[in-house]
Order: sequence, then structure tokens, then C-alpha cells
Amino acid sequence: MEKLCVINLSKSLSKNAVLQNINFTIEEGEFLTILGPSGCGKTTLLRILIGLDFPDTGQIFKDGTEITNEVPSNRGMGIVFQNYALFENMTVLENIEYALRRNKTLRNSSRSIAMEMVALVKLDEHINKKPSALSGGQQQRVAIARTLALGPDIILFDEPMAALDADTRMMLRTEIKRIQKELGATIIYITHDQEEAFAMSDRIMVMNDGKIIQLDTPENIVTHPANEYIQQFVIKNLEMKIDSLIKYVNTTPHN
Amino acid sequence: MHLNVYSQHINKTTKGYQKISRLLLVIGLTFSIIMPLIAMMINIFSVNIIKIVTSTKFLSALKNSLLLSAIATILSVSLAYILAWCISRTAICFKGLFTIILSIPMLIPSISHGIGLVILFGTNGVMTNMFNLPFTIYGIWGIIMGSVLYSFPIAFLMVLEIFHLEDSTPYEAATVMGLSRMEKFKIITIPYFKKPMITVLFAVFTMVITDYGVPLMVGGKCITLPVMMYQDVIGMLEFGKGSVIGIILLIPALIACLVDSRIRENGNKEFVKKEFRILPQKIRDFGAYTICTISSLLVLSPIIVFSVLSFVNKYPLDMSLTFKHLQHALKLNAGQYLINSLFIAFLVSILGVLLAITSAYFTVRMPSKISGVLHLLSIMSLSIPGIVLGLSYVIFFKGSYVYGTFAILILANIIHFFSSPYLLIYNTFGKINMNLESVGMTLGISRWHIIKDILLPLSKDTILEMFSYFFVNSMITISAVSFLASVSNKPISLLIPQFEGQMQLECAAIVSLLIFIINMILKGTVLLLKKKK
Repeated sequence: MEKLCVINLSKSLSKNAVLQNINFTIEEGEFLTILGPSGCGKTTLLRILIGLDFPDTGQIFKDGTEITNEVPSNRGMGIVFQNYALFENMTVLENIEYALRRNKTLRNSSRSIAMEMVALVKLDEHINKKPSALSGGQQQRVAIARTLALGPDIILFDEPMAALDADTRMMLRTEIKRIQKELGATIIYITHDQEEAFAMSDRIMVMNDGKIIQLDTPENIVTHPANEYIQQFVIKNLEMKIDSLIKYVNTTPHN
Repeated sequence: MHLNVYSQHINKTTKGYQKISRLLLVIGLTFSIIMPLIAMMINIFSVNIIKIVTSTKFLSALKNSLLLSAIATILSVSLAYILAWCISRTAICFKGLFTIILSIPMLIPSISHGIGLVILFGTNGVMTNMFNLPFTIYGIWGIIMGSVLYSFPIAFLMVLEIFHLEDSTPYEAATVMGLSRMEKFKIITIPYFKKPMITVLFAVFTMVITDYGVPLMVGGKCITLPVMMYQDVIGMLEFGKGSVIGIILLIPALIACLVDSRIRENGNKEFVKKEFRILPQKIRDFGAYTICTISSLLVLSPIIVFSVLSFVNKYPLDMSLTFKHLQHALKLNAGQYLINSLFIAFLVSILGVLLAITSAYFTVRMPSKISGVLHLLSIMSLSIPGIVLGLSYVIFFKGSYVYGTFAILILANIIHFFSSPYLLIYNTFGKINMNLESVGMTLGISRWHIIKDILLPLSKDTILEMFSYFFVNSMITISAVSFLASVSNKPISLLIPQFEGQMQLECAAIVSLLIFIINMILKGTVLLLKKKK
């Protein structure tokens, strides 16, 4: 079932075209990754999808209803930022509960939902800690729990692992996939890391210069790259990363 | 589709309110800063400018001002450098206590420093009698001493901050390379300190050249530009002549502001800093203890003499304790003026903090086309000396319904002290995650709730610091309010020159002491609140 449909989306900033004629759809429960280098327009696209920015032209439909000019909180979407954006003066539990308490329909069950989310992201032991007492990975899990608490059916991730170390990234990847499966959520995930995109996604949308270069499954992108750019930016880079990973595995002593 | 149109409407309405608020702030600040200055500038055409600036009195005042400000600045900054070095680069104990004591002169009006000097070194002063001193405090050297005492804490805190921000890595690298102390000083210390010290020099110079409290008390026949301006405006009501001097006094302040912004632009905004590892060294630390102790005693001496003079019968003839001077001061309405001051200081602090927070929020967290103008207006008062602002207010607001009321004093104080608290909260807001409002929008949390529940609690320490800055400065200021106050709204600080003029030094000392005690209480409360988590 079609969850989100984007039609002819364009956006210019200071007369520069940041997004040009973007068209795509996403199915319910799908994990779509938007992959591209810095400045390719992926964050602008994400901000337009969530409603933090508005397109010059084009339309966005969710479950068949147009939401192009809808306020962010009415879109039924959630977003997780790269730099967590946690409420530093509140504990883990308060961070998750805060938005629930401000929501008229969820207010009465705010504590139980928050506790459920804490368990989902495995932070039970840390509920009374302030964000500054947590590791980067734990902080990002609080941000995920806070977003999930309101029950969005589409979750957007804006390079959530860019500030994390390699081990934490690997762990969080598994966590995000597990959570997605448990909740059946639709995910739009932004990254410039080819390996991350290929490891997690059902489909990948490769962007460059504000345009979609290829939108397909990871397998099809590898076997049928749309053009030379995909060959160079995606596949060559991926091959290099896999090569170094194999070398690392071969040279690291195992217990 | 109906919901969609409604959302768009809400969005447009909210943005409309934000736009109007920003515009109102810009108009308000323009009305309170630019317009009075323009009024003052227009006023200079009513007099013969050439005749004023070529008069012997003006040229002599200009020469005195430049000379004494230059000497006082060099002395003040040198002393500040030595003491800041002692605090930050030696292994002495009680660094916090020394820092607090050395900052104490900031809690009393500049005019009180002048009174302190008169009591200590005047014709019948404590020190003059005790050591049979042959010199007189009145004149250029008295002004220099008072100005150093008054400007030193600011210079000290600024230089201390520069020492704290210095990275130890280049020194460690130089040690590894085998460079001598002198070489390290030449190739690391001087290049690092050069630019920020220029800012300190200009700031102190501006402070000294625009002050009239100290020269009024101990200047004697040595007239400076601010004193000349004060006498012309208060004594002879020559607003045109006052305006000409006012514009001249704006020049050093403007240069200081430009130099500071230029240095800030070119400076490193973010860098990784490694703390200095300081090991005890007997001789160096003993020297530092000696310097800090002597300086602390010197800094405390005016407060000590105010206390003695306030509570002994008749110094030096009858040293028995008494409250008669306090009773006398209260009889002369000091109590009422103290209430006036507290009323003004509280309102200035509350309204000033609110205004600074709103301006900083609009410039940092909701940038728009108008933000640049708002930021410029918000930092503009840094370059306007209090005495100039006061005069421009007299000219601009004379005849209006606010003239002669508490409102004009409150407004003048807010504007006079606005820039520093604004910059404090501007920097704090800039350091808080910029995605908070976006997160709030997606989670259905309003901007107001993000401000109230997250931004403001996270900025608590800064807000307390801003409150304290507005309060303390409103309590001690004379320059910004001396032209504006009337009998009904006079703040207590203005009683000091009045009592001194009536030869009631004991009452002037009591007033200085009262201001000091109130400011100490406030500072202590702020410190406790900051420590409370």
C-alpha cells in the first residue's frame, strides 16, 4: 500500500535550484534510504517532507491525503536529527514524556508510553540520567524513543549516525532495523555512507545536484547502475569499503 | 483539504506575529538609541562649534582627558595583566577569593572611588595625617589614581579571561624545542595577547575618558571633557555646547567598538584548548601572594574607610562608634532615594533581561532579513558613553510625558547597559542545539513551550548573570541618570556628589557603603542561585 507520494517537488534557495522535479513513492513498512554527497539536496527534501520547509512547486500525499502545507505535528511523521537535539535540562524519561504530556489524547497514558519506549530502545537503566551523562549512541536512542513515543507511521532519520563511532554505528543500525520490524514503521533514512545505505535499505534513492539519479533496490543498483555517477560514487566507494573491511577482518587476530 | 488551508492560515498568522514583534523591537530600539543621538547631533548646529572646540578651556580639557586617560589606561591594564598572571599562572591558594576581592570596585560608583581617595589622601585624609604626606590628591594624579582603581577590575576580568582561554600546547612544543622563556614570550605570548589586549586597552581608555565621577571628586582645577560637559549642562544649561563635547566623547567609544568587532571577526571562534599544568614554585608563588595581598588591601581600602568614616563619631578626633551619620543620612532622605534606586534597579533588571532575551532569540534562533539590523541596534549601546546617552535623552525626551518620571531613568539604564547582557544571552542561545525548535514543531510542542521549558532553564546561569549586571550597574550609575533625575525620582547614587558638595563626607561614605552592601547581597544571592542545581 502506498504510504507516501511525492509529485514534481522543486525548491530553490537564493535562485539556486536545490531540488528539481522530485517524484517518488514509498510503500508502507518500507525502509527507503536517500543517499548522496553533501549539498545534494537530501536534507532539504527531508525538511520539506516533515514540514519544516515548504516546496516552491509540487505536492506531497500521505495515505492519499495532501499534506504539502500541513504543519509538522499534523503529518503523523517523526524525525531524528544527527545531533540528537535532546532537552539537556531533562532526564531520559522526561525527554520522552515531555511531548506526550503536551498531547491532549496521550496525556493520561504518557508515563506508560514513555516507559514502553524506554524498554524498546533498551535504556531502562538510564531513565533518570540527563543526556550529558549518556554516550552518543545512548543519546541517539533517547532521540529515537522520543520520536517513536507519539506513534508516527513514518520516521525520518537525518544522518543519525554521522557523529557516532564505528562500533556504535554498527550497533545502532541493528537497533533501528529491529525497531522498524517490531513497529512495522515506514522509514526514510538519509545518509552519505554507501555501506550504511546498502546494509539497511529496502530501496535506495541516489541523489546528486537536487535530482534523483537512481531509485531502486540495492541489488539492482549494483547490477544495473543507471549511469557513470552511480558507478563511481556508489559502487566504487562501496567496493573500497568492503575491501578494507575484508583486509581488517583478515589482519585482526581473533580469539 | 479544509485542514490544509487551516494549517496554512495558522502558519501565516504566527509568522505575521513574529514579523510584527521583530519590527516593534527594531522600532523601539531605534526610538531609544538612534533618535536621541540624532536629536543631540542636530543640537550642535545651534552653537558655534568652531568657537567651542578652539576655546582655551576646551583644548585644556581635551589635553587633560587624553593625557590622564592614556596614563590611567596603561597603568590599569599593566596592573591587570600582572594580577591576572598571578591568578592564572601561579600555584597560589585562594585564587577565587582574590578574584572576588579584586572585582569589588565594580560594585561601587566611580564617584565613590573619588571620595575614597579624598578620605584617604585629601587635605585631612587618613593617609595624609598618618604619614604626613606632602602631596595633594587634587589634580591630574588624583584622577589617574581614582581612574585606575575604578577601571582596573574590568581590565583584570578581561585579561583573566584571555589567560584562561590560552592554549598550553605551543608552550609545551617550545619547551621540547629548547626555547628560552624570553623566546617563548616573544613568539607565543605576545602574538596571542596582542589582539585581545588592544580590545582591553580601548575598552579601558573609553571607560576612563568618558567618566566624570572621579574627576569631579578629585579633579580640583584639572577639568576633563566629561566634567566640562557636566558643568555646562547642569550648571549653565548649555545643551548645544554639551552636545559638541558629547559627540567628541563618542569618538573613542566608537573606535573601541569597531576595533573590538574587527578583532572578534578575525579571531578564532572555536578551538581546542589544553589547560596549563602549574607546579608550585616557592619564589614565584611568594611574589604572587605578595602582589595579590597588597592589591587586595588597596582595593579594599575605600570600603574600609567608608565603614570607619560612617560609624565613628568624628574622624580622627573622636573614634567612638555611632549611628548618628546613618541617622543623619536617613534624615536627608537617603532612605527614600535608596527605595528609588531599588525600584529602578529591579525594573531595569527585569525589563532589560526580557528585552535582551527577546532580541537575542530573534537574532540567533529565528534569523530573518531584519535580524542583522536588530543585532546591530542591540550592540550599539556599547559605543555610547553613559553621559552622552543621558544628554541625548534630555534633548530628545524634554517636554514628553516620560520626562522627569521613573520611566525615563529605567529606559536610559536599560539602553545604557543593554549590550553586554544581550551578548551574553546571544552567545548562550547560539550554543544551544539549533534543532530544538524543529524537534518541537514535529512533536507538537509550541515554540513558547520550547522557550519556557528548555531554552530558559538551560540559560539559567546566563539570565542570573544578566540580571545581576543590570542591577549592579543601575545601582552604581551616575553618568546616564545625572541629567535626567529630578527630586522625585532621584537614585541614591546621585546623593554622593550632593553630599560631597555639602561637605558631608560621612553621609557620602554611608551612601557608598549602602550601595556596596546591596550589590554584595545581590551578587551573593546570584552566586547561590547559580550553584543550586
